[in-house]
Amino acid sequence: MFALPRGFGLTFGVLAILAVLVAAPLTTIVIDTLGSAAWREVLASNLSRNLTWLPLKNTMILGLATAVGSVLIGGFLAWLVVMTDVPFRRTLGVLATLPFMIPSFATALAWGSLFRNSRAGGSVGMLEGWGMSVPDWLAWGMVPTAFVLISQYFALAFTVVAASLASLNGDVVEAGQMAGASRRRIVFGIVLPMVTPALLAGGSLAFAAGVSNFAAPALLGLPVRMQTLSTRLFGMVEIGQTERGYILAMLLIVVSAVFLGAGNRLLAGRRSFATIGGKGARAKRMALGGARGPLCALALGLCFVTTVLPIILLVAASLAPQGSALFSNWTLHFWIGASDPGFARGQAGIFRNPQLMTALWMTLALGVGVAVVSVLIGLLAAVVLNGKRIPVLTEAVSQLAFLPMLLPGIAFGAAYIALYGAPIGPFPALYGTPWLLALALVAATLPFAVQTGRATVAQISGDVDEAARMTGAGFVRRLFAITLPLASKGMIAGALLAFVNVIGDLAIVVLLYTPQVPVLSVLSYRYASDGFHQFANAVTLLILLISVLATVLANALKGRGK
Amino acid sequence: MRFLPLLATLAMTVPAWAQDLDTMPAADLLPLAQAEGTVTVYAFTSRIGRVEAAFEAAYPGIDMVSFDMSSTEQIARIKSEAGAGIAGADVVYISDAPVVLTELFAEGLVAQYVPPRVAELVPEALQSPLLAQRLSTKVLMYNEETYPDGAPVDNLWDLTKPEWAGKVIMVDPLQRGDYLDLMTEIVLRKDEMAAAYQTEFGEALPEGEDAGKRFIADLFANDLVLVGSTDDVNAAIGAKGQEAAPIGFTSYSDRRDNEDEGWALQVANEVAPANGIVFPALLAVNPKAANPAAARLAIDFMMGDDTETGGDGFKPFYVAGDWATRTDIAPHPDAIPLDDFNGWTIDAAETAKIRAEVADLILTLQ
Repeated sequence: MFALPRGFGLTFGVLAILAVLVAAPLTTIVIDTLGSAAWREVLASNLSRNLTWLPLKNTMILGLATAVGSVLIGGFLAWLVVMTDVPFRRTLGVLATLPFMIPSFATALAWGSLFRNSRAGGSVGMLEGWGMSVPDWLAWGMVPTAFVLISQYFALAFTVVAASLASLNGDVVEAGQMAGASRRRIVFGIVLPMVTPALLAGGSLAFAAGVSNFAAPALLGLPVRMQTLSTRLFGMVEIGQTERGYILAMLLIVVSAVFLGAGNRLLAGRRSFATIGGKGARAKRMALGGARGPLCALALGLCFVTTVLPIILLVAASLAPQGSALFSNWTLHFWIGASDPGFARGQAGIFRNPQLMTALWMTLALGVGVAVVSVLIGLLAAVVLNGKRIPVLTEAVSQLAFLPMLLPGIAFGAAYIALYGAPIGPFPALYGTPWLLALALVAATLPFAVQTGRATVAQISGDVDEAARMTGAGFVRRLFAITLPLASKGMIAGALLAFVNVIGDLAIVVLLYTPQVPVLSVLSYRYASDGFHQFANAVTLLILLISVLATVLANALKGRGK
Repeated sequence: MRFLPLLATLAMTVPAWAQDLDTMPAADLLPLAQAEGTVTVYAFTSRIGRVEAAFEAAYPGIDMVSFDMSSTEQIARIKSEAGAGIAGADVVYISDAPVVLTELFAEGLVAQYVPPRVAELVPEALQSPLLAQRLSTKVLMYNEETYPDGAPVDNLWDLTKPEWAGKVIMVDPLQRGDYLDLMTEIVLRKDEMAAAYQTEFGEALPEGEDAGKRFIADLFANDLVLVGSTDDVNAAIGAKGQEAAPIGFTSYSDRRDNEDEGWALQVANEVAPANGIVFPALLAVNPKAANPAAARLAIDFMMGDDTETGGDGFKPFYVAGDWATRTDIAPHPDAIPLDDFNGWTIDAAETAKIRAEVADLILTLQ
């Protein structure tokens, strides 16, 4: 009889889950555009240049800049924090994960408060305020957008690389040291090659996050009419040209898939990245010697500019009655004040909004639930991807698990509504229930879970698993006794990324949420869209605070696991 | 219009009591509404919060649940809910008339309701096919601190001149429907635009040139600055302490925030051929409303009472820059009366016809 290859069942199972979560909604939007005139308009008409090709070019430049910049900064910080004796390691470690939790519109606004020139009118930034003249290229467009994206997404690369470095087998480094290799030699000859999967994973995550980001190019690009695929896509959905929007979304997917396919090929060229053996000690920290001070200052400087500064501005903006004078007349009204008809148009502070507590619990429940489920699916997918490859199926798992990353949230939400908004056969419509949100958010966070899971699982030496298999341990047994414990650090990192992503997400939930299922990010967005910026900033800070607490908790868990 | 026969069939099968609801005075609706006990409202303005408080004070025992979301979002939501077979809202309070009329009303997702007592008080054009509660704007505004002697321009074509290069600001019409409606109206009014061109430059446009499209092209070519939201426009134009503040298109009624935000926004009314568009804020019922009586009572309430300023139900909307559609509500003392206001009132049906074409024109200009 025809024998199925080993691992077929698991691969097939993971594929089935991905089909429901990712493939089905995407297929829906593909079917919606079949035979549509929009294809020609997007690809080959007098509109194509502005609708498609220029935004595509900008998107690619931003994506590549984000990937390179994030890997450089994130990798550098991860190396400093995990491998060296640089002072303030713990502080740096926390600071370097924070930017991901700061909404990109906050960083973009922070850039504006420094560099904004008079092009978009209103009040100018601090530099022009001091009498300097800021050219348009520094105030608007590509340069500031790339800066904002890098300063936000290097945290992704940092998290992935740091998790990988932390689980590096110390023996190899020690062996290098004993053999008399120089520090430089150890870093470039031993450490760097071993963390290559993590660097590539971090780079791809940053690339995908960069190309699908909406807020930064929308705020900083629009005044000089720089469009990206995501701003174009949003605009098309907004003015009712949904088919064109869907096609742009598909284009974005194809382009990114090509880029990531090339990355995967690079990764596949190497036979094995196994670095976690059954034994092995943690590496001794590398002594930086005279470079300690300058490197520490550089790292702190990076963190200050990308993390502390935006937070300070956000806090100020939640306390100052006027956006044009951020540091005067501070009041706590926007947080706890009672309604006063003569102030802030009668709006009471956020803690007096009855919806806030409901939204808070709903957000936490969604965040925890989605993170756990997503990481579990991610781990299974990672096991599949690092196991014996089954033609077509394994590749399908790899592509599907990463697809959601490339989809701008708003398109993702639209696809989910298109498919799961209405009843399917005997299943009721999910619209109006938290399940629709949960499902979409699990799918959206899968790339984080799979990439972090992969980077960790790739390092687990097959020897251990093989040994267990020989003693007759089944798949589930091996998963819980070997893979899970060894991968726990990477998984906590993955869960944290997923959690933070869920509670801060706006793009996806803005279409899917219903008033009965309020979440914090939508509450913040509502305030902002009504011009209640201080209230919006206060809610954003609340989201940030939860994220920070989650990070601290995750670090404590990781510490205990040692 | 393949839905019309279907609609007609549906209308005939609607139970008699539903048609009765449309003709009942508020006093008769009240006991039915109280039995329903709740009413859900989707509204495109945060001011609905104050309506909710006033409504619950006026009609104890009926809980108004209000949700504030943009018109675009409401449209997406109402379509999704209809697809899922859910009656989310009882009452819909919405702008974006060109899309609402062609996509929601035409497909029977929202329905007209005119409280009998105001039927005589609202002009026919403003109660059919859907009832308008007030009129709002996207018009040319300037900074009255920078330009204390009045608006620095008197003709829309001024905005295409070199001295305004990089100094005209508005929201990207390809990201916000209201602004696309504004551009569309300029194309619809091409004859008036051609006359204004003659006035401004002393010569006529070449024969056969579409003045509306030409204006849009020239405006974009003059380094028009685009931003993402109306608030960005307000801050850019309105912020105090600017030596050469830009000028641009935003809502007249946002002037009410001048004090709170430290702005100096003022409307440019003496502009040829017009300063922008005036468009309706519509009130409609969900034909499948879970609370049909309370829905009608809520609309009745939001249309205001018989006092000169419309009473508590209309109070949140009695501000300078918004005009009540009821002819018996006195114009706001601080605002230019609608009759003297120089904006074009949009024609939703005409706008809907060429809106996509104008969007494509703008796309090629960016």
